[in-house]
Amino acid sequence: MYRSQHLALKYLTAAIALFGVMTLAGLMAAYYYINPDFLFGLLHFNITKILHIDTLVIWLLMGFIGAIYWFLPEEFGRELVGIWAAEILFYVFCAAVAVVAVVFIVVQYGSSDETALWFINQGRKYVEAPRWAAIGVVVVMLVFAFNVLGTAYATRRITGITAVLMIDLVPLILLYLDAFPAITNMSEDQFWWWWLVHLWVEATWEVLIGCIMAWTVMQLLGTSRRIVETWLYIEVALVLGTGILGLGHHYFWIGTPNYWLTIGGFFSALEPLPLLRMVIHAIYDAGTHHMKTTNRPAFYWMMAEAFGNFLGGGVWGFMITLPQVNLYAHGTQWTVSHGHFAFWGAYACGVLSVIYLVVQKVRGLGHVNGALWKWSFAALNIGLIGMVGALLVSGFAQAFVERAIGGSTHEAFIAGQENRWFVEGMVTRLIFGLLFAAGYVALVWNLVTVGRRVPVLTAASEVK
Amino acid sequence: MSGLSLLETGLLLGLYVALGGSYGLVYAIAHLKGASILHGMSFILYALHGLVAIAIIVGTPLQVGWKGLVVVSSAAFLAIPPITWRFLRVTHETEAQG
Amino acid sequence: MAALLVMLTLDSLAVIRPGGANVPLYTVINQHIDYRFDPKRGHDMPVIGEPDPLFGKPLNAAAAAVLIDKGKMVIQSRACMDCHTIFGNGAYYAPDLTKAWLDPAWETWQAITGAATREDAMVTFLMDPVKYRTWTRTMPNLGITQSEAEATVGYLKWIAAVDTNGFPPNFGHMQSTP
Repeated sequence: MYRSQHLALKYLTAAIALFGVMTLAGLMAAYYYINPDFLFGLLHFNITKILHIDTLVIWLLMGFIGAIYWFLPEEFGRELVGIWAAEILFYVFCAAVAVVAVVFIVVQYGSSDETALWFINQGRKYVEAPRWAAIGVVVVMLVFAFNVLGTAYATRRITGITAVLMIDLVPLILLYLDAFPAITNMSEDQFWWWWLVHLWVEATWEVLIGCIMAWTVMQLLGTSRRIVETWLYIEVALVLGTGILGLGHHYFWIGTPNYWLTIGGFFSALEPLPLLRMVIHAIYDAGTHHMKTTNRPAFYWMMAEAFGNFLGGGVWGFMITLPQVNLYAHGTQWTVSHGHFAFWGAYACGVLSVIYLVVQKVRGLGHVNGALWKWSFAALNIGLIGMVGALLVSGFAQAFVERAIGGSTHEAFIAGQENRWFVEGMVTRLIFGLLFAAGYVALVWNLVTVGRRVPVLTAASEVK
Repeated sequence: MSGLSLLETGLLLGLYVALGGSYGLVYAIAHLKGASILHGMSFILYALHGLVAIAIIVGTPLQVGWKGLVVVSSAAFLAIPPITWRFLRVTHETEAQG
Repeated sequence: MAALLVMLTLDSLAVIRPGGANVPLYTVINQHIDYRFDPKRGHDMPVIGEPDPLFGKPLNAAAAAVLIDKGKMVIQSRACMDCHTIFGNGAYYAPDLTKAWLDPAWETWQAITGAATREDAMVTFLMDPVKYRTWTRTMPNLGITQSEAEATVGYLKWIAAVDTNGFPPNFGHMQSTP
């Protein structure tokens, strides 16, 4: 195993650990809606939400980095250049995440000055981490880019997948620079903030997961590089073709010109189409291999990625993307429903697929199967879909009561939050969240034990 | 937009994409299995998608431009599965022969 | 696509800078702000009216900028947008603040706090939201000082004058039929 693959294991382990923190914080955040006096005076909703959404971003980023450190040395045929620096930085990264989280929990707020932004909380969604930590993230990403680019230069060998990856790293890192400024003008603040958030999750991250899934498909199904790379280029072109100007669907209501209603609505309405192609491609792959694979969980999580991406991003997104609907749905639990489904389908499932593939390689397992991964798969997916469905009901109620009928005032907000359907949706969401959490526990147990204590099934990995 | 038409429009838009996707899914499975009943099912799903598109055009307060986009997208939903499937077959078969 | 995005960005930045077509200068806080239906646009639009200085003290451009800067720093340092939304972005546990300056609920807080003006009621509330709670979901005490509260109120007044294409919808108008 290459050194960078050892590092990959560390990153993937840290990713799974943070997935757990995210889940716990999510359960807590959900509980405040049921019991608003929960931890009042000690830890409030906003801090808990910060822990939930920031660990979301970091666990997925660590998953991407781990996956890439795993695949790249085999892709280049050698150890990655400068891996020693990345090894040190991994521990620095983890320590920084821990310190930031402790400060969020214990200190929570500073005064309205630069010190607070540098050391405590920047208060901008997803990028609340103080500036000192944001600098750390930039350093980690720059060293990561150096590992990739430096090795490409040293080997003078660039494959299609690595070329796409290297080109993608440039905007990925540059966009993160929006984690630093504190722009007074809220319209401008949100304008640039969406460059970071949208062009990460609806552009550069899509390319990243595309590259990672390309390697996964090659190893899991034995598909040739030529086919995989052809499809990667097409998907990247379509996703960026719709996603770059699809950014405009965040520019409907922030003070920007009206033309964004047309441009943003149009391009984001096209965004489901590349995702449809991915579903068809997934069916082709599944069918032509007659569902035969030596790693059932990796295969199923990959299928979940294709379907979840289409449903969560495509179907749920399309419901709310046209401006006339978005005017009522924007900033309600309808958005939350879409967000949970899309992140899960587009990214989480893909990372879990890779993790199972890596586990198989690391433990030298001929086949990966068993009962536990199925329980985990079912609980996580049913839990997630249950949460999404519940949030959709709450979101409908909120958009209807608060916005359409109520006049969007403070009083209308309260009426929406107290509406029977809204409340039942929030309770149901928490219940399915607990199922999701149980699925996480099963996942961890499975990843720790598969191939070790439980004998793996061999012939039974094929399905009629 | 009234509250009721808001919910109706949102649901129809979601159903529109879900049915378009379902048609693509069943189309793909039908071509894998070669079962005519599945081909029939995929047509039915596309027909339902078309009905939902008509409901959006006739029954929602969306502006005319967005209704036009729904019509054009329906054409794309129809075309994407066969084009994708043909391209998948060709790329894999060329690979197998080469 | 990227080239078009860059061009549209340059145009948008001009429109959204303070004093641009859609975003008022910070000195708008010296004036009365209303929100009325515009038949040409088909939705409500901010209407800037006669002088109505915040806390009765008109501010010049430099002083208004200092106040608005501080207001934004309060909003960031207290992570307000991890409970509230502004322009619909943020978190959904607490109300949207885009038109909070214009919200009729402040009349209730004026009564509860005994404040003479809306802005005084807002400041009193922000400095001790637990004492002036009106709902089961209570805003916590975030250690907001008097000057920070005044700056935040100024910020909210300025935000209310931004042209948001009618977001949030039907503000202040209840619909009689679903």
